[in-house]
Amino acid sequence: MEFFLHILISGIATGAIYSLIAVGYSITFTTMRVLNFALGMWVMIGGMLTLTLNVMLGFNLLITLPVLVAVMAILGVVGERVSIYPFFRAGSDVWIMSTLAVGFLFINSAQLIWGHNPLPVPSFFGDGIIMFGPFAIFPQQILVIATAFVIFSLLYLFYYRTLLGKAFRAIAYSSEVTSLMGINTRMICILSYVMTSVLAGVAGFIIVPITFAEPQMGTVLGLKAFAVAIVAGLSAPRGILFCGLAYGALEALASGYFYTGVRDILGFSLMILVLILRPEGLFGKPTGERA
Amino acid sequence: MKKYTRRMAILATAAVMTLGTTGGSKAAETIRIGLSAALTGPAAFVGVSIRRGAEMAVDAINAKGGISGKKIELIVRDDEHNPVKTVANHRELVEREKVIAMLGTTNSAAMLATAPIINDELKVPIVAPATDATKITENQAWEQKRDNYVFRLGMFGRGQANFLANTLVQKFGYKKLGLLTWTAGWGVTGRGELNRRLNELGMPAVADETYDTADTDMTPQILKLRSAGAEAIINYGLARENAFVTRTKQKLRDTTPYASAWGIAAPAFWKAAGASGEGVLTSTTISIDGPQSAERKSVLDEYLSRYGEKIDGPPFFFAAYDVVNLLAQVIGKVGEDPSAIRAGLENVPEFKGLIRHFKRPVFTRQRHDALTEADMILGRWTNGQLLEVQYDGSGPYVVLDSNEKKYIDTKTLALK
Amino acid sequence: MNTRGLRRTIWLLGILLLAMLPMAMSGTYYQFMFILIFIYSVVVIGLNILAGYAGQFSLGHAALMAMGAYTSALTSKALGTVPLLAQTGLNVWIAMIFGTVVAGATGAVLAYPALRVKGPYLAMVTIAFGWVVWKILLEWVSVTGGELGITAIPKARLGSFVLTTSYFYYLALAAVVVAMVLQRNLVKSEFGRRLKALKHSEIAAASVGVDVYKEKVKVFVISAAFAGFGGALFAHQQNFVSPDNFQFFSSVFFLLAVLFGGAGTLLGPVIGAATLTLLPELLQDFDRFRLIIYGCFILFTLYILPNGVAGLARRGATPLPDLAVTSGGDGSVAQVLEAPEVSRPLCQDSKPAPFIEVQSISKRFGGLTALNKVSFTVFPGEVHAVIGPNGAGKTTLINIVSGFYKPDSGIIRIDGKEVKISSMHSAASFGIARTFQTIKLFGDMTVLENVMVGFERHSSTRLWDSLLRTRRSRAAEQRRAEDALALIEFVGLGDFVNSPASSLSYGHRRLLEVARALAVRPHLLLLDEPAAGLVAKEIEALKDLIDTLRELGIAVLLVEHHMDLVTAISDRVTVIDYGEVIAQGEPAAIQRDKRVIEAYLGTVDRDVIG
Repeated sequence: MEFFLHILISGIATGAIYSLIAVGYSITFTTMRVLNFALGMWVMIGGMLTLTLNVMLGFNLLITLPVLVAVMAILGVVGERVSIYPFFRAGSDVWIMSTLAVGFLFINSAQLIWGHNPLPVPSFFGDGIIMFGPFAIFPQQILVIATAFVIFSLLYLFYYRTLLGKAFRAIAYSSEVTSLMGINTRMICILSYVMTSVLAGVAGFIIVPITFAEPQMGTVLGLKAFAVAIVAGLSAPRGILFCGLAYGALEALASGYFYTGVRDILGFSLMILVLILRPEGLFGKPTGERA
Repeated sequence: MKKYTRRMAILATAAVMTLGTTGGSKAAETIRIGLSAALTGPAAFVGVSIRRGAEMAVDAINAKGGISGKKIELIVRDDEHNPVKTVANHRELVEREKVIAMLGTTNSAAMLATAPIINDELKVPIVAPATDATKITENQAWEQKRDNYVFRLGMFGRGQANFLANTLVQKFGYKKLGLLTWTAGWGVTGRGELNRRLNELGMPAVADETYDTADTDMTPQILKLRSAGAEAIINYGLARENAFVTRTKQKLRDTTPYASAWGIAAPAFWKAAGASGEGVLTSTTISIDGPQSAERKSVLDEYLSRYGEKIDGPPFFFAAYDVVNLLAQVIGKVGEDPSAIRAGLENVPEFKGLIRHFKRPVFTRQRHDALTEADMILGRWTNGQLLEVQYDGSGPYVVLDSNEKKYIDTKTLALK
Repeated sequence: MNTRGLRRTIWLLGILLLAMLPMAMSGTYYQFMFILIFIYSVVVIGLNILAGYAGQFSLGHAALMAMGAYTSALTSKALGTVPLLAQTGLNVWIAMIFGTVVAGATGAVLAYPALRVKGPYLAMVTIAFGWVVWKILLEWVSVTGGELGITAIPKARLGSFVLTTSYFYYLALAAVVVAMVLQRNLVKSEFGRRLKALKHSEIAAASVGVDVYKEKVKVFVISAAFAGFGGALFAHQQNFVSPDNFQFFSSVFFLLAVLFGGAGTLLGPVIGAATLTLLPELLQDFDRFRLIIYGCFILFTLYILPNGVAGLARRGATPLPDLAVTSGGDGSVAQVLEAPEVSRPLCQDSKPAPFIEVQSISKRFGGLTALNKVSFTVFPGEVHAVIGPNGAGKTTLINIVSGFYKPDSGIIRIDGKEVKISSMHSAASFGIARTFQTIKLFGDMTVLENVMVGFERHSSTRLWDSLLRTRRSRAAEQRRAEDALALIEFVGLGDFVNSPASSLSYGHRRLLEVARALAVRPHLLLLDEPAAGLVAKEIEALKDLIDTLRELGIAVLLVEHHMDLVTAISDRVTVIDYGEVIAQGEPAAIQRDKRVIEAYLGTVDRDVIG
């Protein structure tokens, strides 16, 4: 039992990373039916900026975060203009490729600027370890889990309690009607993309002490987070939070009770199975061509 | 109709253009040596170290007037760690760039793919400073006792695994060893070789765990190793994941002794792992910390002034440095014919390299590996330095900068 | 020389030029690069059929290529132990065929989850599939050799003659030529037409009898077989395979080659594969910027060449090059439709039996009852109108009869036999065709092609006929084109035969939908508000058209708001409100029915008659 709980805790801590990244895919998909396929690379940029601002330039975290948010927002505006706006009406294969192209630009630029080696960013709380009885966890991992819950709660409040959030959801139903209602749909599209970028940056900021700053730090995480978002259903934020944590736990349990080599084989096969049974994801609502 | 004509015209022009470049064979004013390695991607620190080692050696030779008055020219290609690209690069280096010898690569799989092509078609010698699959040098041509153009001046997996297993069992006295290896790259070779050696020693691994490239939390693996009763863990992988292992061990307050193959004989490991890396053992062919010979020191100083940082992968840098010098020595003696160079390499009675002074023939016709497991050393990460472990009657010890002799506690690898 | 002959000559010259190329090349590097281009072209052609023509893109094609490569490598090594096969070199050829077959079978496995998902979900399924295969290659060390792969794969040879690089060049070249020809045959055949139809609208395709699932599985299998064949070539050319060659990035590379070359074009895959293989070679000095170059290249392609390089030459619609149809042959519409008027069984009172009897059909969506115990019959040669206020359940009724929805309860009899209409294409096989309230045409396809898709359920040609373009398949195509033309002329679109459907006016599109539905040779035609959006003159033409269909003995179920039209052509009318039948009878009687008038006038916010 102790073994199980140990593993479960470490799995949930990893799963929170997936959730945190995966929610980004959902926001733009809710409003625009497109998503930033290369979100993992944006997370990496967030991590790298944290490295530069916090470690290299020595700014404290309270300065680092707003600067990072500002940079990510600007990148988000540019990114939307370059990789989404021109391909709005195109098929998903096109914007998957265009956003991936931006991701390539990011990785290569990061390699040129920061080099190939993993560079550590100190944990926000020092090197301490928190113990719950026999169970150990890094404070940074707790921060990731907490941040995931806070961000999902804020998003929920945003969607259901603010006018803008309601507009976000309205666009999902019909962009024509919302634009008739005087809502600037274009603005909301940009805004949702910027939100995604900023969230990715914040995710990078929070997780970089765990993953180390490195140009490839977000690639696999982003892909697994994408898988989580898809399995949960892109339009179901709460499902994404749950699925992220669950997938992290499943991975750790697969490592613990089988072995790591078969972990991804099991994980991704399970995903395919879920999509056979629920093509719109576990928590997604069916949408389809109507006769 | 017109459009088809136009398409064909474009196609034809493109074909002619590409052919045009093959036309003029490059005048042999220089001695051309080729290098194909992964200069981008996760293995880049190996490739870049090799490249810099080769470049510095070439510059040093050229500064002294080259080989019989001819300068050496190094032609470098990035193979992206991809076997197909590696094969293409070697064909191109030999056929278009007319290189007479090569060094590389960084990927065992790519090297295995290239070896038969080098032996059967290209017939230009290549000396590998990295890549550790045994079959690279003991290839088909070797088995059939034909001319083998593939050499290695680096550590091969079998030797490294033997060294690590033997040392931990014989010098440190462990009886139950657990494995924790990377699922990609040389981790796979290493895992196989370590299992083989431990079985030979009659003490099969008590646990055989792996981790993936992006894994950051190794809790399940460490716990399983612990519950299997491993007295020590052997890792085969790169710096980043090794740092995650040591951090997870720190988190779990796990003091099981931890040793790793040469993937972490690189400053990047300490940078990433920090204090959690203290006490980690690693096998390597060279350590750049602690007292150094005068020759090495001058190269290290030059590296620092040239690149402004510590060497990313010292074993690979120095291997490449030695390979270029070895090639220069052989070419100076036998001339520029590739098959003569191959024969010459098999006939170097003595060579003073920076990794070691070979007082035996570097290669023979049957033995294309310059280094053996006896040439490996064990290092202990001690406060950011990789210090060579030495032994006396009281057990393993390291010598600190302060010339203080500290014994290693084999239960925890802490210094006594 | 005619155009076709000229084109053929140019193709031959091109192939000849490529065939002579090795003689002009010193060394094997260029041959090696060309071989790679050829091999990748085969794979990309496979992906193009899937992504470009059928609209089912895949980010897992590298895994399918791996299936072919590994299977062929392992099989050839295993068969190499049989002396006879090893001596003749047959082990390699058998292995390559086997590898192709296994990859095709894997395609069928991949098709199963891929069938049900779309867009990013499809991307995820294919990525996950690729990931799983790649991981298995890495982990199943005893078979695949793990990270280090399989070495010393036998070279292809004929007897004692070994295909070294210079000779393998010809094998690879031949493979591309064959792949190109197969691709052309396929997309120009009725199978290709079905794929394009699926890409536009699965529902519309299903409504004319295309079995969407079956076609998708077929195209996945074909595409995978191409990828597998490419993989098999790859294995025996490199004599070495390792998982490094089949990572996610390779799949991205293949999809990019399709997009750059031109998705859904014949020459595009080769252009794409060639460019993307040569690009890194040409840019060797810029290795440090490789991903930046790739990124810019992708964006550039998507901005400047949305239809790819090959798409540049092909602006606007493609006319049908291989179908020279000028007249509808001698077949009258009656013949084309195989009109059912004579073959009807008669009841005792010499009144014909109903074609369809619908009995107490109910359908609920969640808590809402869309239809409640609705019953009606339609006789051959009868025009039966269904009217009712908006939201009364009329379209739901059509959706049930056409197999789009399954009823919760109730019975449907066709020709007196109880049947289950389980899907739209099964409805078509019962002789039921339909049109849609919101028009669903195959936009980029020509009017002729749109109608030709409709003949789907009468097709007797097999996939092999299509692939090999047999005389049989060509004759069938010609006959279908002639029949389609007759239908097109019948609905009055004779002037637009080779125009893309999307270029037609609104009224013409409605007529085209009718023509397409007629190609099913229906016994029952379901028209969902055919007059919506038509001008008076067009409504008049529609009326004549329906009259003719009635004379031909076709049963027509008409959902319509235009009361003038309904009154003028209906034999009987069924009125439904809130999902229940409130009146049934002849138009004149219905107009006087109190409940009907109430239903229409009783509430203010409901639609008003006519």
